[in-house]
Amino acid sequence: MYGEKAVELIRQLHRSPDGSLPPFNEDGIRQVLEEMRVLFEQNQADVNKTVDGAPGLFPGVQLRHAALERNKRCLLAYMFNRMERLRAMRWEFGSVLPPDIKYNLSEQEIQWFSRYNKSLAAYMRSIGGPSGGGLDLTQDLKPPKSLYIEVRCLMDHGEFETEDGTILLLKKDSQHFLQRSQCEHLIRQGVLEHIL
Amino acid sequence: MDDLDIEEGSDEEVEQMTAAEALAMVEKAWLNEKFSPELLPHKQDLVDVMLDQLNGMQENISRAKKGDLKASIHKMEIDRIRYVLASYLRIRLEKIEKFVHHLLEEEAELGEDVPSRMSPEELQHAKNFAANMETLFNDVVLRHMPRNLKKLEGSKVAASPNKDSYVFLQVQEQVDQVMVDTAGDQGDEAIDLEKGSQHIMRYRVVAPLINNDAVTLI
Amino acid sequence: MFVTDIRKEFYDKVVHERVLVLVAFDVDALCACKILQYLFQCDHVQYTIVPITGRQELENAFLEHSEQVKYVVMINCGGNINILETLQPAEHVIFFIADSHRPVDLVNVYNDDQVKLLMPTTDDFDIPAYDDLFKDDESDDDSGNESDSSAPSGKRRRLDEEVLERRRERRLWEEKRKQILLDYEEFSTYGTSSAMIMFDLAWKMSKDSNDLLWWGIVGLTDQYINNRVERGKYMTDVGDLHKHTLRLNHRNEDDDNTVSVDCMRIYFDEELKLALYRHWSLFESLKHSSYPACKFKMWTVKGQQKMHEFLADMGLPLVQVKQKFTSMDMGLKESFKGLFTASCEKYGLDDISFGSFIAQYGYKNKLCAADVVYAVNGLMECVEAEKSATGYFLEALDCLSRQNVKKLLRGLDLAKRQLTTIMQTVHSFIDMKQIISAGPFLYAYIPEGHPDVKFFSRPNCLGMLAYFMQEAYVATSRSRRSTLLPMVVAAPLNAETGSALVIGIPPKAEESTKNFFGRAFEQAAIQTNSRTLHDNFDTSIIEMKSEDRSKFFDALISLLS
Repeated sequence: MYGEKAVELIRQLHRSPDGSLPPFNEDGIRQVLEEMRVLFEQNQADVNKTVDGAPGLFPGVQLRHAALERNKRCLLAYMFNRMERLRAMRWEFGSVLPPDIKYNLSEQEIQWFSRYNKSLAAYMRSIGGPSGGGLDLTQDLKPPKSLYIEVRCLMDHGEFETEDGTILLLKKDSQHFLQRSQCEHLIRQGVLEHIL
Repeated sequence: MDDLDIEEGSDEEVEQMTAAEALAMVEKAWLNEKFSPELLPHKQDLVDVMLDQLNGMQENISRAKKGDLKASIHKMEIDRIRYVLASYLRIRLEKIEKFVHHLLEEEAELGEDVPSRMSPEELQHAKNFAANMETLFNDVVLRHMPRNLKKLEGSKVAASPNKDSYVFLQVQEQVDQVMVDTAGDQGDEAIDLEKGSQHIMRYRVVAPLINNDAVTLI
Repeated sequence: MFVTDIRKEFYDKVVHERVLVLVAFDVDALCACKILQYLFQCDHVQYTIVPITGRQELENAFLEHSEQVKYVVMINCGGNINILETLQPAEHVIFFIADSHRPVDLVNVYNDDQVKLLMPTTDDFDIPAYDDLFKDDESDDDSGNESDSSAPSGKRRRLDEEVLERRRERRLWEEKRKQILLDYEEFSTYGTSSAMIMFDLAWKMSKDSNDLLWWGIVGLTDQYINNRVERGKYMTDVGDLHKHTLRLNHRNEDDDNTVSVDCMRIYFDEELKLALYRHWSLFESLKHSSYPACKFKMWTVKGQQKMHEFLADMGLPLVQVKQKFTSMDMGLKESFKGLFTASCEKYGLDDISFGSFIAQYGYKNKLCAADVVYAVNGLMECVEAEKSATGYFLEALDCLSRQNVKKLLRGLDLAKRQLTTIMQTVHSFIDMKQIISAGPFLYAYIPEGHPDVKFFSRPNCLGMLAYFMQEAYVATSRSRRSTLLPMVVAAPLNAETGSALVIGIPPKAEESTKNFFGRAFEQAAIQTNSRTLHDNFDTSIIEMKSEDRSKFFDALISLLS
């Protein structure tokens, strides 16, 4: 059936849990594009025949055209949703993607990511006018409850320097009481866990 | 907020207002933005003033001595203001990216002297974003499509804000004769919005009122 | 040196600084840590908490985390070792030590600058006088002269009387010093619970609340359950806490003053020596608690009958007794305690109850201090491979918070498994007569290969086993001497490296918690060249190579007889 493969792409993406990105299915996309090419060629042939006076081919052309449109829509949706997830990851992980995610991306997506990064960084720098020094919007994601929070180290992270210059060792299973603003990004990276 | 750390808004663009008033305005803009389905006009001046204040406060605090209770309270205040600002800008950015085609189209149709909804920087980012997205789509799929399908046709597929969604609002200033179309066949109905009352209404109906501060979204 | 004003000399010093907190693996330390965390959080004191299992880890943790740290707090660790010599800290580092292990190392006691001991002055330390331990520079010169004088041969004869006299004096002094040290370090024992000390601090700062009080109570109860405190001392401390309880839970009974059910209420009550019975069935609890189980000799048919008779005498139907305590008939549940104590007297279980506390919050959560201790211990010494030992330490720390009741419930289940394993092991050892009277002490060795043996690779659980075994042995033994015998239990620690964990406990008849095994183990190890590791802060718990076991114990027997 026409369009089946394209829908399969969408399903594949839909099935993967939120916040994860399945490997870029280049093969699937190629197959859909191939299907589109065949459809298009058939249509061309039929259109030419119709022009030459062959009757009764028009409904077939219309059906194929609908299938073509549908395939296109599906491919774009696939790309767009992957892009959306990638965008969310920029906010979650920062400008450097974890290697296991990067592994699942296509070359073009990596390019998109770096361009997005650049544009976003430029925008954040511009906030507050030329003298304002910008504002990092990826910080302060949650409303602050207190200045200091208690965090637990989930993995060996090594040394970490705080704003006031003290260095502390983030070792697995050690527990710290720190300024929230300083360890927010480490919490998002999964190095620290916020204990209530 | 108090008089200790914040000087009066020195920016000329914003007429004389106290820091507390500026903060209240930022908070109002933030809530409106948060609950409205579409992008509201930008408040760049306000953001700039507020950031300025923040930097000033930060400096004052760094002079305070360690373990001063007042310093930590001020610090907390800074964190909260920064959160509001960041969240406000973040929400805008999210909407801009989501409705990028719609917004850019709207932008193109604007007359010369009509102010844009976006600040120049936001507009720049929106343009980058749209171009970036198009490049991605082109490179991966569109380029390989049959020739009559190679175009993106953004307006056909892109999302646009749902102005018919319902919003909670509080009336700040008395507004009379607001036209509300009812669901039935009776046609439109005019109602008066009393000051201080709260309503649930379709966004489309109250959109103009938000811009002139007659109502705020909650 | 000892700190006299804990608030001024400790808390006010660290209040605007970064603090490193090293916490040992026991419930008392956890509770003390909880209280300290709360205080620090109130005042925005930035801290780092690191769990510490033993001396080696103490050194490592200090090395790793000491950069830029000026203040170190140690809870239930570090007191009985020479901190300055072991850790070689920089001169600006100051140690605050709240440790219930005794005896306190004398260098720690007499160091005025870097070591501050957070221990109540009311404790009985028996610290030898300074002059008996340390001689000032003058005498050091003497010893210098001594070696000098031996070198040039010509001068040797001209040694006058005075020098000889001084030397003799010095020898005497050294002998005396040795004797004093020997006496001082002969027994290892425990002092006031660290949680109590921290609660005292909170109270002095007017920051005490029911939550903090509860942690103090649990810390003290931990000492009692694990035989680390004498009954008299326990009663005094309970009295102290009782006063706080009354003060913090004082409410008028009229309707206006009733508080929401979510608030914590603590009250004093006589508690039965029945482990976890509120969360188990009465029958199971009777079987698994060392006191009633040993009194009835539950491992014999006769003992079982006697217990049934006892239950019948109380008027409790077996069906009720065997189902979950919470599901028992309301009427029975309410009158059960009275019936139980009455019957206990009749059956000679005079010692069944002790003064303790109960906390209640919400409709569901009613916990007695002893059960919390079992649960926290169960969680802390969990042997499942899901997490590391420090991981379970943090779980245990979490479960003390009121909002983490779920974790505590898991701890209760783990504690039941601990107790079941202990009970089964004791029964089989008694049945097979595997507890041997080695002469000067009782001895039991848990063989490898038993599936549950991993439970006993944790010091606290091994301790519970040792006390249960001793009590059971004494109950079955006909000889009166058995009550006068201390006990040693060894269990495999790590099958791969072939190591074993050994614990020694004082005789049953002994009222005090004084334990001489620390010294004895050390001596035996030296004499036989056994490969032992004295890593635990409690010196009566050691690790050793399993191969060296027999020669080590031979030496131990000859040493003690």
